Amino acid sequence: MKILVCLKQVPHSDARLDIAGDGKWIQEDNIKFEINSYDTYALEEALKLKDAGEAEVVAVSIGPDRVTQALRTALGMGADRAIHVNDPAMEGSDSLGIAKVLAAIVKEESPDLVFAGLMSEDGNFAAVPPMVAQLAGLPSSTAVMSVSLADGTVTVERELEGGALEVVQLPTPCLLAVQSGLNQVRYASLKGIMAAKKKPMDTKTAADLGVGDQVGAGAAKVEIEKVYTPPRGEGAQLIEGSADEVATQLVGKIKELGLL
Amino acid sequence: MGTILIVAEIQKGVIREASFELAAFAQKLAGSGHEVKSLVVGQGVKGLAEEFAQRGGGEVLVAEAEALANYSADAFTQATLAAVAASGADLVLISNTPSGWDFAPRVAAALDAAFVTDCFDVSDEGGAIGFKRRIFNGKLDAQVKATGTVVATVQPGATPAFEGSTEGKTTDLDAGIGECKTKFVEIKIAESKGVDLTKADVIVSGGRGLGAPEKFTEVVQPLADALGGAMGASRPVVDAGWLPHEYQVGSSGQVVTPKLYIAVGISGAIQHLVGMKGSNFIVAINKDPDAPIFEVADVGVVADLFDIVPALTAAVTAAKG
Ligand SMILES: Cc1cc2nc3c(=O)[nH]c(=O)nc-3n(C[C@H](O)[C@H](O)[C@H](O)COP(=O)(O)OP(=O)(O)OC[C@H]3O[C@@H](n4cnc5c(N)ncnc54)[C@H](O)[C@@H]3O)c2cc1C
Ligand SMILES: Nc1ncnc2c1ncn2[C@@H]1O[C@H](COP(=O)(O)O)[C@@H](O)[C@H]1O
Repeated sequence: MKILVCLKQVPHSDARLDIAGDGKWIQEDNIKFEINSYDTYALEEALKLKDAGEAEVVAVSIGPDRVTQALRTALGMGADRAIHVNDPAMEGSDSLGIAKVLAAIVKEESPDLVFAGLMSEDGNFAAVPPMVAQLAGLPSSTAVMSVSLADGTVTVERELEGGALEVVQLPTPCLLAVQSGLNQVRYASLKGIMAAKKKPMDTKTAADLGVGDQVGAGAAKVEIEKVYTPPRGEGAQLIEGSADEVATQLVGKIKELGLL
Repeated sequence: MGTILIVAEIQKGVIREASFELAAFAQKLAGSGHEVKSLVVGQGVKGLAEEFAQRGGGEVLVAEAEALANYSADAFTQATLAAVAASGADLVLISNTPSGWDFAPRVAAALDAAFVTDCFDVSDEGGAIGFKRRIFNGKLDAQVKATGTVVATVQPGATPAFEGSTEGKTTDLDAGIGECKTKFVEIKIAESKGVDLTKADVIVSGGRGLGAPEKFTEVVQPLADALGGAMGASRPVVDAGWLPHEYQVGSSGQVVTPKLYIAVGISGAIQHLVGMKGSNFIVAINKDPDAPIFEVADVGVVADLFDIVPALTAAVTAAKG
C-alpha cells in the first residue's frame, strides 16, 4: 500500500504576526515555522497504518527552501520518502493552483490513500484537499475523526457539529482530510532523525509536473488584496494592576453579578 | 451583473438558518443587479423549496433523488454542478458547515472556478467579487478579490438571516446523479456523559495557554470550585488528551450560556467563540492583548494567567468568608 501525506509548513503558533510591507500577508522573515498541526495528525494516521501492516508513506509539501525542514521532520517520524515542490513560479498561487500541483503528484504516484489536514492554520482555507481529490478523480471525506480500512473499503467517521459523527464509506484510492485529535501524534525519535538523513527527498517544479502554466499569481483567480488587524469593536473593559488588585476588581464584578 | 446560486441546506427536516444568511448576502448583491436563484436538494423537499423561494431564495431549483436523501460529497457535488449549468450562475454561495466544506471545494475544482472559504462579508467590486475572511484563527482578517466564476463558502452567523420575502417559484431539476463513491452510512449522536456544562452558572475554561494537563487541576479547577462552577476547555486541550471531550466548549463541543464564563489562556478562534459568546458575562485572561477573545469579553485582563488565576481564586475564597 502506498500512502501520500500532504504537509504544509505554517508559521509557528506562537510566532509574532506582523503584517508585511506590501500589506498582503504577514512578515515571514525571521519567524519560526512548523508543520501545520492538522497535518501532523494526517501523518500520524498514515504512520499508524504503516505500523499495522505494510505501507510506504510519502510526504509531500509545496513551499520554499525552509519546507525541507518540515519534510525532514516527517521522515524522522517515519515517512519513507519526501517530495518537495520548490518553485518560485508558484508564488501567489491560490488554493486551486496548489491543488493542481498536488493532483499532478497524486496522478504520478497513484497512492492507495491520500491524507491531508482539514485546514491550514495560517490561511484557514480548508480548500485544497477536496479540490485535489476532485481533480485527481478520487472520492474524499473531510473532518475525519477515525479511519478503518478493510478489503479496499475505508470507513470513516466525519465530525459534524456538537459532537455528532457521520459514518461514511469510500473505496480506495481516496483522499481523507483529517480533523485534529483523531490520534496522538508521535515525536521523531533520535534514531528516526538519524535514519531520516539517508531517506530520499525529491525536489520538483510545477513545470516538472506538467502544470507550470497553471500556478502562480498569474493563474490565480483569488487574490489577497490586504491583510489587517480586525477592527476592534467596543472590546473588553481592561482591568490592570498587580495580580491582587486585578483579583479584587474581578471579585467586585462577580459580586455585582450576584454570584458571590 | 450575473446570477447567484444559493445552495440551501436542510438539516433535521428544516432549512438551516445559515441558508437564510446566504439569502441575505445574495439579496444584498441583488441590489447591484445580480439575479438570485437557489438550489434545494434532498428527497420530499418540495415544501421546503417553496418556503425558501418566498424567503429569499428567488427561483428555486429542486433536485430530488434517492441519492440526495442523505448527505454525500459525490451526490451533492453533482447536483450543484447540474444547478450551476441550469441556472448559468457565476457566483455560488454555500454555507461553511460540515457538509458545505466537504463538497464546495469539489464544485469549485470541477468548475475551475475561483474559490473563497468561510467569508463573513461579500460585496460587488464591479467585475470582481470582494470578500472578507478571518485568517490565523481570527488573529487577522484578509480582504480578497475573486474573478470569473466564483464559488464561496460563508461563515454561519456572519450576517443576520434574510427577513424579507421574495416572489419565487420552484422548478424541478433533473440532476442526473451518476456514480457516487462516497456512501452515507449513519449519523451517530454523541451520548452525553457526566459533565453537562450547559447547566452550569459559572464556567472557567482553560486553553492551550495552560501548557500542561496538570495545570487544569492546579490552576483552573480550584477557581471553578471556589466559584461553585464547572471547568471547561478549548479543543486543543481535548485533542491532546488532557481532558475528555465532554469538557470541550465550541462548535464541535458544547454551546454554553452561563451567567459567568471565564476564559483562561484561550485565544478566541471562531469555533470556540460560537460555543460561549452567548454567555451573560465574559472574563478573558490572556497575555496577548490582540487575542480575539477580548472582542467578545466584557472584562479583560492582559497578563500571565499563572499570576492572575491563583490570586483570583484566593480572593474569591476570601470573599466567601
Ligand atoms: C471544524 C473545527 C471545529 C472546531 N471546534 C472547536 C471547538 O469546539 N472548540 C474549540 O475551542 N476549538 C475548536 N476548533 C479549534 C479552533 O480553531 C482553535 O484552534 C482553538 O479554539 C484554539 O484553542 P486555544 O485558544 O486554547 O489555543 P491557542 O489559539 O493556541 O491560544 C492559546 C492562547 O493562550 C495564551 N497564553 C499562552 N500562555 C499564556 C499565559 N501564561 N497566560 C495567559 N495567556 C497565555 C496565548 O496568548 C493564546 O492566545 C475547531 C476547529 C475547526 C476547524
Ligand atoms: N503548500 C502545501 N503543500 C502541501 N500540502 C498542502 C499545502 N497547502 C495545503 N495543503 C494540504 O491541504 C490541507 C488544507 O489546507 P488549506 O486548504 O490550504 O487550508 C493542509 O492541511 C495540507 O494537508
